[in-house]
Amino acid sequence: CVHGQAGCHFLSLADLFDRVIQHSARMHSISSDLHSEFEQYVLPSRNHIGRINRHCHTATILTPNGKENAQRLAREELTEVILKLLVAWKDPLWQFHQNMVHQDDFNNFSSNKALEMSYMVHELRKGVEKVADRMQNLGMISNSLSGLSSPEALDPSSDTSGESQAMSDHDLLYCFRRDSNKVQNYLKILKCRIVPENGC
Amino acid sequence: ILPVVAQGARHTPPGKPKLTSCRSPDKETFTCWWEAGSDGGRPTTYSLFYHKENSDTVYECPDYRTAGANSCFFNKNETSIWVNYNITVVATNALGNNFSDPVDVDVVYIVQPHTPENVTVGVLEDEDGPFLRVSWEPPRKADTRSGWITLIYELRVKLEEAEEWEEHRAGQQKMFNIFSLHSGGVYMVQVRCKPDHGFWSEWSTASYVKVPDYIPRERSMWIL
Repeated sequence: CVHGQAGCHFLSLADLFDRVIQHSARMHSISSDLHSEFEQYVLPSRNHIGRINRHCHTATILTPNGKENAQRLAREELTEVILKLLVAWKDPLWQFHQNMVHQDDFNNFSSNKALEMSYMVHELRKGVEKVADRMQNLGMISNSLSGLSSPEALDPSSDTSGESQAMSDHDLLYCFRRDSNKVQNYLKILKCRIVPENGC
Repeated sequence: ILPVVAQGARHTPPGKPKLTSCRSPDKETFTCWWEAGSDGGRPTTYSLFYHKENSDTVYECPDYRTAGANSCFFNKNETSIWVNYNITVVATNALGNNFSDPVDVDVVYIVQPHTPENVTVGVLEDEDGPFLRVSWEPPRKADTRSGWITLIYELRVKLEEAEEWEEHRAGQQKMFNIFSLHSGGVYMVQVRCKPDHGFWSEWSTASYVKVPDYIPRERSMWIL
């Protein structure tokens, strides 16, 4: 419902949730595909030695690492975590796609997927913002969402941009696969707390 | 006295153990299982060690008993998701030890739910004749209500004497109708479930149902 068609107005909150959840599932599945393509075709040719520790540039964003932790967060906080993750991936994914265009390791197919991911993360963020807006209008979450007025305020990449530059392609795919899975899970938890009667 | 020394010559350190699988039924706890190698002719003990991604602290298995022999169970407090566990099993006897190949596990990707529960099959009827209505519940352990885990279902059906199963995808529904039945046939029905990123559960134990004798519509048309 990105282009603000007239019909959009009548989508229920549950429908909006289902849309962003579907979108996040697709995004995660593309990132999984790309990650396994990378492990299959690119890594073997690069004389990859051992498994090194990976530092995701989003490691500074505190994210709940289990069901109970996720449930313990206030609705506003969970929404904010989701938005923070999405905002943090916008630039690295765009950069990743730019790099891939100039590489022979990846075929066109993969390069298109990278572009798609970078669009998807943007679209999903707009979708989640819409959901958050609606929740606020319905009084289901407070208006204290710091990110909504200026999403850029949430962007942690301003102080870690150097780090994200340093992330290897493999790490980036690995980290994004994980973060997109987090987003999908948090959205489902949030949905079931807000509109539990709809398929929870 | 038996020549113990001669026999002792065949004693060796234990063979290499092998981590066979790690699975989580609920995305909240998980278990790893291993196979022993040879014991080298001496009493051999097995220990499981793990460390988490980006940490050098090594921990030993918190619970060797709950999940049975050659296993290690991680309860809720010991289970985090979106973090890799690097797991190794060590076999030790009096003559030395041997390590399994390490395995990296993120609990998100090893979920295999228990089988769906309360599978019931009823025979209903509409103007075209009888049909089966299969319904079921998610496995109790999987917390689908909170949104923490989402399951999709698949069912399979066959006439008792048939060789081949006929499979149907039910998506997230917990109910499915099956049409075009053989008059008087006895059908077997099974259901299984899968999370979005993970493994299929086992099939539920077969439910049997007998379709009453009826005149199929096509044939009644013929007679007319």
